Amino acid sequence: MSAAEATALAASCARCHDCGLLCRLPGPAPHGARCARCGAELHLRKPGSLERTWALVIAAALCYVPANVFPVMMVTSFGQVASDTIFSGVIYFLTHGMWPLAVVVFVASIFVPVLKLASLTFLLISVQRRSSWRPVERTRLYRVTEAIGRWSMVDIFAITILVALVRLGNLATIDAGPGAVFFGAVVVITMLAAESFDPRLIWDRIEVRKA
Amino acid sequence: MTDQGPERGGLGGVADAVVETRGRPSIVWLIPLVAALVGAFVAYRAISERGPEITITFKTAGGLEAGKTKLKYKDVEVGVVEEVRLSPDLSSVVCRARMVKGSEEYLREKSQFWVVEPRIAGGQVSGLTTLLSGAYIGVDPIREGKRSRSFIGLEEPPIVTTDESGRFFVLRSTGAGAIGVGSPVFFRRIEVGRVVSSQLDPADDFVTTRIFVQAPFDQRVHASSRFWNASGIDVSVSSSGVKIDTESLVSILIGGIAFDAPEHAGEAVAAQDTVFPLYENEEASKTRHYTKSVAYLLHFDQSVRGLAVGAPVEFRGITVGEVTEVTLEFDTKLDQFRIPVVIEIQPERFTTILDEKTRDQALDKLVASGMRAQLKSGNLLTGQLIVALDIFENAKPAQIAWGGPVPELPTIPTPLEEITANLTHLVDKLSRFPVDQLGDELNASLKELRGTLAQAERTLASANSMIGPDSDVREELARALLELGDAARSLGLAADQIESQPDSLIFGKKGSK
Repeated sequence: MSAAEATALAASCARCHDCGLLCRLPGPAPHGARCARCGAELHLRKPGSLERTWALVIAAALCYVPANVFPVMMVTSFGQVASDTIFSGVIYFLTHGMWPLAVVVFVASIFVPVLKLASLTFLLISVQRRSSWRPVERTRLYRVTEAIGRWSMVDIFAITILVALVRLGNLATIDAGPGAVFFGAVVVITMLAAESFDPRLIWDRIEVRKA
Repeated sequence: MTDQGPERGGLGGVADAVVETRGRPSIVWLIPLVAALVGAFVAYRAISERGPEITITFKTAGGLEAGKTKLKYKDVEVGVVEEVRLSPDLSSVVCRARMVKGSEEYLREKSQFWVVEPRIAGGQVSGLTTLLSGAYIGVDPIREGKRSRSFIGLEEPPIVTTDESGRFFVLRSTGAGAIGVGSPVFFRRIEVGRVVSSQLDPADDFVTTRIFVQAPFDQRVHASSRFWNASGIDVSVSSSGVKIDTESLVSILIGGIAFDAPEHAGEAVAAQDTVFPLYENEEASKTRHYTKSVAYLLHFDQSVRGLAVGAPVEFRGITVGEVTEVTLEFDTKLDQFRIPVVIEIQPERFTTILDEKTRDQALDKLVASGMRAQLKSGNLLTGQLIVALDIFENAKPAQIAWGGPVPELPTIPTPLEEITANLTHLVDKLSRFPVDQLGDELNASLKELRGTLAQAERTLASANSMIGPDSDVREELARALLELGDAARSLGLAADQIESQPDSLIFGKKGSK
């Protein structure tokens, strides 16, 4: 992709977020401009993208700690309670020879959230430092981050299904632990953070520099 | 963030006003704030709810699992085992456990910990719930001693935990019998306690058994209560039949101790750790319930043939003690044999119980006024001897020899004359028996008897004809016997009926209504 190509920003145009109509803006800094077709407010970029993403990333990072420290699942079997954190679950699967399951849980519950938090932080810092380093790769990183985010919910889904299914009274009962709530919060907040990040910001700096 | 730039005006040369936007922090920052607050709150809760950490040392880690095994007191969870590891010298297992908050108060030196596992011991099955839930560590918090963080775990659950109220007593016996730790203690065949420990007293080779009697039965243990070994089966055969006596099946298998209520009501309740003698069986406890005995030495220089250990010591016919030892010694000074006899007198047999000093003084006075020990014939047929104490006013003055290990009471020889006098008396009576007259009378009687016999012969002949095989009497007799048999049978039925339905005596047969 050549940076010399015309952009909507340079042409003082903005594409409606909702219906996609390209509108000419009255000035370079539109305030209260609305889409000619659907009436949605027009922005050149997502408003407050960096600030919002930062806030959400920090919130997710804060929730990530209790999500890993507290048990996500408590299995009560014959009156004996066994509580598992995410990591102890992985180790349990691994030591019991179920390594494919261990890999799935590890990737979905440990690797992906960390990857998301790290890549979002990296993107935010690089945008703020007006870095022009490998914009294509960074955009690809963003796409990956956005795409894999939802798969972290696998663990939460598994727990919710087990909690609903395994209700055998004294024989066996499974309860969600406090860690599950925090883990769910991490997944949701990182998804929101990825959503609120505007990848066009990566390219803006390069356009500005070229201009 | 600012999407605004300086406003571009149409007036040339006029400087553009700088519009400064004060970036109010976006509302989105509330999210990390809330996350931080919630996280901090949860962390605070988790940290503030952490109780003290303790270590318990066990011999083996049977059933203990890190992170799973609980510590329980009265089935309430008071902690969790966090780590099970070997001690550095591999001799024991060190268990690190996290207790609940607020347990510092009862984590003191004397607190006990043991692993609760299913076990069958002492006639009872315990810990069955742990079959399903896995073993847990029982805790007996004892608020004694200093606060502590490391404990030595018990290998066996304690017999008595502090939450049981009751009292301990100490029993002393010459042998433990079949009594072991955990054996039951019975009162009127109800299990009211357990044996806590049983060990040999190093000082005097007695077996000291510590028992625990639960409240409210501990109020039944009085100063005069008697304890006996209720182990096994007591079989006694007597003229009234075979009597089998036992406390319970449990006591047959693992032994047991029983005690009874005092004879006199209103007696003081025994204090904690009172020492009681433990009798071999119930009978022994009934017959020998004197806890004190005082030994005295007697020297006899006559034959003691017939005097056995256990022979009674009587004072004017009332048993006050028994003979415990009969030996023979040669006195080199006097060049003669002497027979020392040790007797034991139970002061408790007397209604007035004196203290030692007054008793000795009284004894001195008694001896001064002529009290002597004497061998007397207890049974004329078997020739058994007893030791009799009595006051002989004309006896030679003597004193109690307090010097030796056992005080010596003066004796008085049994006058042979007394026995011979008795014999002569008997022979006298025999000689005065009118043998000649008796013979004459016997002769006359025999003659009469001959006449009577002839008459009897005649009578028998006539009787014979009456009850001969074909006589009417015999026939009638046979019929009568048959009827008697019938009557006996129906009487038997009636007796059965009454036995099974005693009320039928009054209300008649149930079925006939």
